[in-house]
Amino acid sequence: MPEDAAATVGLSQIDELTERFEREAAGVSGRAAWDDLRVRWIGRKQGIVRAALDGIQSVEPAQRRAYGEGVNRLKEQVERRLAEMDEAISAREQEAVRRSAAVDVTLPGRHPSLGAIHPVSRVIREMVEVFTELGYSVAEGPEAETDFHNFEALNFPKDHPARDSQDTFFLENGLLLRTQTSPVQIRTMLSRKPPIRIICPGRVYRNDNDLRHSPMFHQVEGLAVAEGITVGHLKGTLLAFLRRLFAPDAEIRLRPSFFPFTEPSAEVDINCQICKGKGCATCSGTGWMELLGCGMVDPRVLDTCGIDPDRYSGFAFGMGVDRVAMNRYNIPNIRTLFDNDERLLRQVRG
Amino acid sequence: MLFSKSWLSDYVELPADVQDIQRRLTAVGLAVEGLEERGGDTILDVDVTTNRTDCMNHLGIARELAVIYGSPLKRPEAQPEESTERVEDAAAVDVEDWEGCPRFVARVVKGVRIGPSPDWLRARLEAIGLRPINNVVDVTNFILWEMGQPLHAYDLAKLGGSRLLVRRAREGETLVTLDGAERKLNPELLVIADADRAVGLAGVMGGADSEVTDATVDILIEGAHFNRQHVRVTARGLGMHTDASHRFERGADPELCLEAVSRAAALIAEIAGGAVLAGAIDRRKEDFPPILQGRLDLGRLDAFAGASVPKEDAHRWLSGLGFQVKNGGPAWDVTVPSWRLYDFQPRPDGTAYEQDLFEEVLRHFGFDNIPAALPALSGSDAPKTPRQILREKVRDHLAACGHAETVHFAFQAEGMDKSFPSLRPEAKPLRLANALSDRYDVMRRSLVPNLVETARFNQRRGLPAVRIFEIATVFYETPESEVPDQPEHVGLVCGGHAGNPWNRETDLDFFDLKGVVESVADAVGVRLDFRPASLPGLLEGSAAELFRSDQRIGYLGRVAQEEAYPLYVAEVALDGLEGGDVSLQVEAPSRFPAIDADLTFTHSQDTPWAEIDRTIAELRPPDLVFWEMTVRYLGQGVPEGAVNTTIHFLYNSSERSLTQEEVNERQLALAAELQRRFGWKG
Repeated sequence: MPEDAAATVGLSQIDELTERFEREAAGVSGRAAWDDLRVRWIGRKQGIVRAALDGIQSVEPAQRRAYGEGVNRLKEQVERRLAEMDEAISAREQEAVRRSAAVDVTLPGRHPSLGAIHPVSRVIREMVEVFTELGYSVAEGPEAETDFHNFEALNFPKDHPARDSQDTFFLENGLLLRTQTSPVQIRTMLSRKPPIRIICPGRVYRNDNDLRHSPMFHQVEGLAVAEGITVGHLKGTLLAFLRRLFAPDAEIRLRPSFFPFTEPSAEVDINCQICKGKGCATCSGTGWMELLGCGMVDPRVLDTCGIDPDRYSGFAFGMGVDRVAMNRYNIPNIRTLFDNDERLLRQVRG
Repeated sequence: MLFSKSWLSDYVELPADVQDIQRRLTAVGLAVEGLEERGGDTILDVDVTTNRTDCMNHLGIARELAVIYGSPLKRPEAQPEESTERVEDAAAVDVEDWEGCPRFVARVVKGVRIGPSPDWLRARLEAIGLRPINNVVDVTNFILWEMGQPLHAYDLAKLGGSRLLVRRAREGETLVTLDGAERKLNPELLVIADADRAVGLAGVMGGADSEVTDATVDILIEGAHFNRQHVRVTARGLGMHTDASHRFERGADPELCLEAVSRAAALIAEIAGGAVLAGAIDRRKEDFPPILQGRLDLGRLDAFAGASVPKEDAHRWLSGLGFQVKNGGPAWDVTVPSWRLYDFQPRPDGTAYEQDLFEEVLRHFGFDNIPAALPALSGSDAPKTPRQILREKVRDHLAACGHAETVHFAFQAEGMDKSFPSLRPEAKPLRLANALSDRYDVMRRSLVPNLVETARFNQRRGLPAVRIFEIATVFYETPESEVPDQPEHVGLVCGGHAGNPWNRETDLDFFDLKGVVESVADAVGVRLDFRPASLPGLLEGSAAELFRSDQRIGYLGRVAQEEAYPLYVAEVALDGLEGGDVSLQVEAPSRFPAIDADLTFTHSQDTPWAEIDRTIAELRPPDLVFWEMTVRYLGQGVPEGAVNTTIHFLYNSSERSLTQEEVNERQLALAAELQRRFGWKG
């Protein structure tokens, strides 16, 4: 074989190999086939490229340089091509993984099953919180009470018509179910010296049962007794409280009234939060809603509790919780509040 | 209470603007709840509070209006022209019970002609919804609504002995009252009697026998003052309520009797003819009524109000309201008018409370004129009590565990109360004396009956699962203490099928509820023991009592009666959860790897887990840091009466890495011992 021919044979072999590689590569799509292809062509020991490189021994010395360059070109091409294929295969593999792990993000989440706190408890908490921030403590007392604590000490004498306004449940043992949380005020004043600032939430009972009245309902009462407590302080405290509870721009008005345990006494109205005082169905067109009763602690009550009314003064107020809860959660009547229908209770959120 | 504007105008000059009248009366504490135009007049519906008997008549309201508008009050003429015959010669009055009747005034008018009242009088009465009867009765009603004194006119000819006696009724005595009802009397009740029999219920209603009729010629007009408790006892005892009793019960004006009787006599003589006998019979208890005085210090008034009240205004308001004010200095001596005595119950030393006087001034000063302020009290009153903190923690915890909070009435039917366990079965329930119905006749000793009833209500409404709780007071009859024991309990109910195949599906059972109870106890640092128990209302074999140390604080179990799906209930005394040991110390976890092991062994179903658990604790090999029961298996391959239990163990040392070999050795020894003690022997 002439020198030229030998060189030509060597070089044409490389062209053939290049074509063959491209043919084989075209048929490869998966990772395994790619791996086979890679080992067959650039495997360290038995790869075709290595064999071609080793074949340089049989090439004429004059042709070796050209042959060597040809094999290197082949090697570069094979390696480049394999790298490209690797990248493409990896991309396809990742895509497949991603696709198999993909979720419908709009499917429902798995909730830990949450319960709910009763609307009345929520409102009580809210009211108590405002007053604890103002430095009040929470005072509590018995629901089955004595006549003394529920009436007499609160300046409701025996056989007095003022008692008529509070239909009382009596117990067979001569006690009664408290008609207000005020007995807690009495118990506190009997056991402590001023200054006193307490808030008394709790259940109360009145013998009244219709669509608008429940025989059991909830009250929050407040009491502050110290030297120098004024009617202005009563107004200021109620204003601060009601603005926190309802709206920062809420307005109140005090109408003189009568309760045996306060003097002077007042009914407190808040400007209707539905129509902001313009007059609507909720406030019967008056622009005001009656909200609570309050007053300066009657000196007879202070005397009964051993607190000198010449030195100390105080204010007290009391409001129903249930109606506030009903308004807040749009509950149409008070009985619904105590039906305990889970479908309603579970809707109640903070 | 209805008032006629036209009638009020007889005593005080009023503006045309009735809205202004409404607003200003309301602002001084006489809430005008309605205004109605009627035949050129305006009728005011005023909510007169129980302490303001003095305003339950037109003159009283006019007095407030005179102060509001700064115009004079015109008091009507009350002096009749008298004949020469003396009243003492025509009638006599004796009072036996001065306590019940501290004053009694009577006048006699002879020769009246009973007939319809003149138009002006009829119009006055009809304006406020009263029905005219005849000229004499109408005058007495008119006086009541004019100045507030309840009066009664007797047909003098029908009074035995022409005399009246105020005394207690006799046992078995009866009286037919003006309304035609026959009343059975008793010595609790105060009556007006003639020489022979009762002729009227003191302060409530007259008798039919001595009533003024068309044939009446001579009348005796009674204007008395009766003790308010006596009138209340009489009226309530007989189930009666009249305009007169309404006023006497709340405290009438003891100084009004004579003026009212005289004005009535004058009016009767004017419209029904007849001669008013000379003088009046006026029997009065000694030193009655007391004179009540107090001091009003203007500086203290301002300090009480938190506002500066003009001195001249205060003086004008008090004087206008009938208070006598003496001394122009910084403190005034004030005498309370007789018509306000009952609203001014005196201090122990017999003087008036200054706060009562402050109230009078501040009503007219106006609460709107007092600036709002916050009291300058520093610090806080007292921290929350452990109980308050615990209660709210438990409430939050239970809600976070999926339970919805409920609120029930504290009274229930006695049968219901008995249907479930009480934590204090020896304590009787408190019984209501005036229950709404027998569905609510005792105070509950347990929260569970209500909760079960509510669970059923929700079941019937189609809820696939029920999870509710309540935190409330229960009541025990405790005869030895001032008030009965009223501890707070927490009650729980659950049952049904919760979740779905996608979302944490489970059939709620005993262990779901037990887990909730245990997690509450855990959250408050309390360890509970569950001991099998036989309890009313709960399924035998599915009930336990809860112990903390050796104190029983609750119970848990499956409700015996079933509907749709089983219900599980629990009740725990909040006391029992107090004072738990919530550790503030934590243990650092080991830095070395842990080795775990599982053991499954077969044992009798009669062997309680608690015993196995206790045994593991007792045998506890070194470095065993944790174990838990993971599988209970009954079924194929497990002999009858036996159960397979799988326990997971975790070994970990804080000092080094343990080897599998040493853990195997310890675990095998433990397993062998458990097998020896509890293993199924067939």
